[in-house]
Amino acid sequence: MQPKSTTLKILDIVSVLLLAVSTYLALIYAPEEATMGQVQRVFYFHIATAWVGMLGFLAAAVAGIVYLRAQNPKWDIVEVAAVEISLVFFFITIVLGSIWARPVWNTWWTWDPRLTTAAITELIYIAYFMLREGIEDPDRRARFGAVYTLVGSLSVPITFFSIRLFRTIHPVVIGSADPSATGTFDMTGGMQVAFFFALFAFTVIFIDLFWNRIRMGNLAAKVEQLKLKVMH
Amino acid sequence: MFLQDAPPDTSSYMIAGYVVFFLVTAIYLFSFFVRSHNLKQDLNALENMKEESAPPPAREETKAAAPKPKAKSTASKAKSKPRQAKKKVTKK
Amino acid sequence: MVTKSARLSKSVTERSTSPNLFKATLAIAWKDLTAEYRSRELFSAMLVFSLLVILIFNFALELDIKTRQSVTSGVIWVTFAFAGTLGLNRSMAVEKDRGCLDGLLLAPVDRAAIYFGKVISNLAFMLIVEIVVLPVYSFLYSINLFNPGLLAVILLGSIGYIAVGTLLASMAVQTRTRDVLLPILLFPVAIPVLIAAVKASGGFLNGDEFSMILPWINLLIVYDIIFVAIAFMVFDYVVEE
Repeated sequence: MQPKSTTLKILDIVSVLLLAVSTYLALIYAPEEATMGQVQRVFYFHIATAWVGMLGFLAAAVAGIVYLRAQNPKWDIVEVAAVEISLVFFFITIVLGSIWARPVWNTWWTWDPRLTTAAITELIYIAYFMLREGIEDPDRRARFGAVYTLVGSLSVPITFFSIRLFRTIHPVVIGSADPSATGTFDMTGGMQVAFFFALFAFTVIFIDLFWNRIRMGNLAAKVEQLKLKVMH
Repeated sequence: MFLQDAPPDTSSYMIAGYVVFFLVTAIYLFSFFVRSHNLKQDLNALENMKEESAPPPAREETKAAAPKPKAKSTASKAKSKPRQAKKKVTKK
Repeated sequence: MVTKSARLSKSVTERSTSPNLFKATLAIAWKDLTAEYRSRELFSAMLVFSLLVILIFNFALELDIKTRQSVTSGVIWVTFAFAGTLGLNRSMAVEKDRGCLDGLLLAPVDRAAIYFGKVISNLAFMLIVEIVVLPVYSFLYSINLFNPGLLAVILLGSIGYIAVGTLLASMAVQTRTRDVLLPILLFPVAIPVLIAAVKASGGFLNGDEFSMILPWINLLIVYDIIFVAIAFMVFDYVVEE
């Protein structure tokens, strides 16, 4: 395995710095929101982690399609990396959203389209890893993984749409179920700085993690190949 | 509900949120390093195994190389034997 | 068993002479249906299972007259989804265990024919079970389920469910954990179908206006088209050796 390239090392350091600055902006620099109080500060990281989750989701879908067309194992590694990062960050998003919802909507969980879709996406990702777990042949594992990613990435938008349809047709039972009704706020200058900086910082963090994870995937593939060589 | 002037004190939720974020991130990074470390160890172990299992071909090489001196020595023996024989003959 | 394999090989040679996609699809579906007609193991398992699920729901939800009205569509779709998973898993596992899948793959037919053939036979099993379950449910709970709209929704929902299910089942049977894997793979991606089918069925049962139900039917149609097309395109990768 080649040692980390200098670019990646620099990116690692930049990511940590950006995370620190972003935390400072979100926790201290941004003004306190008038109606929700301090908990609104969770919002910056909530959206930013959701953004990373989305990036991972899209990257996984693209990698899956490219893998099926090109049949090159390196796209399988990219796909796994994207799914794993998306899994972790959507998990954080859901927990942060839940913590935010408790004081604002007075409930830990609402069956809101975004929340529910994120939760279903998590389940699809877990199913994805269980599917891969059950297959020994690396080639077949990659093919099945790509097919399932493709099916999942088509089904998730439809799920989101159908839950939204469910909510708009169905009368809203709890008055606060719609996030556009309660929990909205106008972002002032300081908030906007914190918000957009968080988005930027987490994009860089995503690239850094993605890169590192792909490197690890390459290493794992190498180990697997060597294992096969040594065993036979 | 939110019409009161002072914002409700929700800082405990905020702290909980950021604690969760950093905790999960830390766990993920830790698992990342552990997996990466294990893979590197595996790689090293496998490379060692490969080197250990590599010697058979190497030994074969030495074997293949060894016959030559043997052949030489036998050749020299064969050469020397006639000489000896010659010597013997001359002695006789 | 011998006659079966002989018959299979015969049909394989027949197919090789007529590699028409449509004919091959029908031949594969026909093979499944006749095999099932003789054994009836899949059908009886799905049917008994469905009836048991309905029975359990009766006690779990206390299906009195008021609740019945609101939960019927949910109960029947949960029943169909579970029975469908059972059928899909079994139908693909049988194919794999008896080596029929390998035989089919060796046969000079388009892989798409295998997919569509399996979809048709799986769909037929699911629809037959549904046709039996619906009157039983109507009888047990005195709710009239014979509504043409409802039947159309059941058809559309079953098509979508089976289209994805057949693709995922053919992956699941090739893994180590195949018995438990199919529902885990299938349910999260089949959620749009289940939501739309439950809402549309509920709409028809409550006698809602058609304009209220139409979005759900559209959603079902869109889902069916997208997933039949996608499964058709990627099925090659799933059965490739």
